[in-house]
Amino acid sequence: MMRSQRRANRVIFLAVAAGFVMLAVAAVAVVWTFARSQDYGELVSHTIEVEGAVADLNRLNERIEAARRGFLLEGDLRFLETFEATAADIPLQIERIAGLTADNPSQVDRLARFRQLTQRYLTLLRSSIADKQAGGTGVSGASLLDEEDITIVEELRSISDTMAREERRLLVMREAEANRSVYVSTVVAIAAAILLLIVAVGTIWATRRTLRALTSTGVQLQELNDDLESAVAERTSELQRANAEIQRFAYIVSHDLRSPLVNVMGFTAELNAAIKPLNELIDKAEEVAPEIVTEETKFAVREDLPEAIGFIRTSTEKMDRLINAILRLSREGRRVLAPEAVDMNALVSGIVDSLQHRIDEIGVTVETEPVPTLVSDRLAVEQIVSNLVENAIKYLKRDRPGRITIRGKKANGRVLVEIEDNGRGIDPKDHERIFDLFRRSGSQDQPGEGIGLAHVRALAYRLGGTITCESVLDQGAIFRLSLPMALAPQQGVNT
Amino acid sequence: MSAHHIVNIVMIEDDEGHARLIEKNIRRAGVNNPIRHFLEGTGALQYLFDSPDGPARNGPALVLLDLNLPDMSGIDILQRMKAKDSPLRRTPVVVLTTTDDKVEIERCYDLGANVYITKPVNYETFAQAIRQLGLFLSVIQVPEPDMD
Repeated sequence: MMRSQRRANRVIFLAVAAGFVMLAVAAVAVVWTFARSQDYGELVSHTIEVEGAVADLNRLNERIEAARRGFLLEGDLRFLETFEATAADIPLQIERIAGLTADNPSQVDRLARFRQLTQRYLTLLRSSIADKQAGGTGVSGASLLDEEDITIVEELRSISDTMAREERRLLVMREAEANRSVYVSTVVAIAAAILLLIVAVGTIWATRRTLRALTSTGVQLQELNDDLESAVAERTSELQRANAEIQRFAYIVSHDLRSPLVNVMGFTAELNAAIKPLNELIDKAEEVAPEIVTEETKFAVREDLPEAIGFIRTSTEKMDRLINAILRLSREGRRVLAPEAVDMNALVSGIVDSLQHRIDEIGVTVETEPVPTLVSDRLAVEQIVSNLVENAIKYLKRDRPGRITIRGKKANGRVLVEIEDNGRGIDPKDHERIFDLFRRSGSQDQPGEGIGLAHVRALAYRLGGTITCESVLDQGAIFRLSLPMALAPQQGVNT
Repeated sequence: MSAHHIVNIVMIEDDEGHARLIEKNIRRAGVNNPIRHFLEGTGALQYLFDSPDGPARNGPALVLLDLNLPDMSGIDILQRMKAKDSPLRRTPVVVLTTTDDKVEIERCYDLGANVYITKPVNYETFAQAIRQLGLFLSVIQVPEPDMD
């Protein structure tokens, strides 16, 4: 499916590209046709201009002839003026035609001949005029029209006719040429238009098909997404159920463990109470009949029994504390979190105040730097930070002045709270272990059950956060708490 | 209340050890009222409501109630005793249990429990609590049940 889709896409792309090429070809053809027709128009006007120029020349020739004739016949000087003006115009007119026909060698040749003849003709005319002015008749030879004169005029006329014809012929030829090229370009343009139409129809069809495919893909994707969401919701509820199950299990187990413990403690106390009358009995027996009191009996009542009871008692007390810790953890896990805006600076200073007595007693310097406000469960955050600060105070090194720094910053939509101390530090191999329930690190010279950090981690996880430890033995420790800026409100209790 | 009626103590407690410790300490406090002990809820309910010598039919009583019973929750017993039309609704109930869960405690008081005592593992505290309870029992006035 993917491959056919890709092929279809390629075809569509090529078709669109071909369509644009066609469009370009058609445009070029149209422009070319337009240019051709414009060329043709220019050619026509050029031909007409040349024809006009040739006609003008003929007219000038006739006029000069007429002026000469008038002068010769009447001797009026006005004819002479006309003659001279026309004689001056003729070469100009010839040069004009030369300029117009410079691109045509045959016309140039003809014009050269024309120029030559005109010169000769003008010479002849001038000589006849000069003759008249000198007092002659001005008609040397037989008539006004001597032979050479006539020949020249005829030849001039024929040349100008030929030139006009030549221009006509060229025009017809060029017209045919222009028509042909216009025809060709029209055909090209029409073909391009047809192809363009075909490509357009094909492209529209293909695009519609692709769009339909896209829509169905979108629908499929939506379905898949919905499936995924419901799968996630299912998993989440499974996890919540499992979590609730564990919580309940912890609760029931710890609760039910307490019951027998009450008996152990209670009857141990009863035993303890029984020691007193026994002791009195031995005291009395020692007085009355010392021979029946053996060292063994005395030792059993005065040493063994109290010792045994003492051990039973401390062990059960410890067990009770552990069970209570589990109970507390499970209870914390069941508590519904109530997110609210927590002013961390106030919270931190509140914790420091509550520990002020111990801080003064040991002589610790506590520095608090600003911590960003976040939206979370106030109680949980308070328990976490207060546990960490208490630990920092508790595990300072005796031989150097304690210094604890609490600081915070925003990073990637989370708030990072650091609690740094210069205390005894934690062996790197214990960095994970210290967060486990009932696990402790280093020398066991401080009271505690190994519950605090387990509690901290459980709370941090519940708040969507993490807690890490960075420390080198004997060089202090930094605990980093990372919490989301805003905790999402919870849906109901998960019990 | 009639003076000739001795207040019976009804103890509903599934753990025999606990029952024994409670009894010992009550006696140590100088309370000599008769104690009826039940290990499970069904028998206790029957005694409370139906027995001819039970508190509903015969004389005032005080109930020591554990919440964790094998056949039912102590809460159920409390609910039945403190129901609106129950003859035992004025009978004092002392809840004695291992749970120190705040919600649980509140629930018991809401249902009409008169006293709630957590069984501490620290025996001295426990014994003291029971003895104080005994002193309390020796001075309280227990009303007659409704004989309707």
